Amino acid sequence: MILARIDGVIVATVCHASMRGCRTVICQPLDERGGDEGPPVLAIDPHGAGEHQTVILSTDGSTTRQFVGDPKSPLRNLIIAIVDGAT
Amino acid sequence: MRLGYVIGRVTLSKQEASYTGGRFLVVQPLSVRQFQGGPVSPLAPGSSVVVYDRLGAGVGAMVGFTEGSEASMPFEQPTPIDAYNAAIIDRVFYRPPTP
Repeated sequence: MILARIDGVIVATVCHASMRGCRTVICQPLDERGGDEGPPVLAIDPHGAGEHQTVILSTDGSTTRQFVGDPKSPLRNLIIAIVDGAT
Repeated sequence: MRLGYVIGRVTLSKQEASYTGGRFLVVQPLSVRQFQGGPVSPLAPGSSVVVYDRLGAGVGAMVGFTEGSEASMPFEQPTPIDAYNAAIIDRVFYRPPTP
């Protein structure tokens, strides 16, 4: 689980069946000081996180497969919480 | 899952039986600069990835691909796949906070 910031969303019509209907956001992973770390990644967002909100991003595939209800899903990144504050 | 541009295709004459039904693409993952609208060039720094594709993405398309063990999950039998094309991206709305 890592901290990340929501920097955008994507739209994809042609996608794996397990992704249909899921909001997919662009997340910028953050380092310990809140700065950007590496290139942005995509994640499934069931909570509806807003632009530039900090979230907790789970990179565990089995959690995501359970969430989308498809044991054959290739998805991995899932937003599991919206962060109010981190010190 | 990462975003990348399809910059080429890989053609195989012999392949693992479980690969049937898909094809392989050469994908250049987007760097931070390219996210912000930088140029896409096949000779950009950073290594490109060979991605298994069942959706039919062509050269020039933007795709979202997963890496690691999750890439082999959609297959019926254990398959040596490291990157799987999960989505063909139509539009990207990217707006990082201004410093």
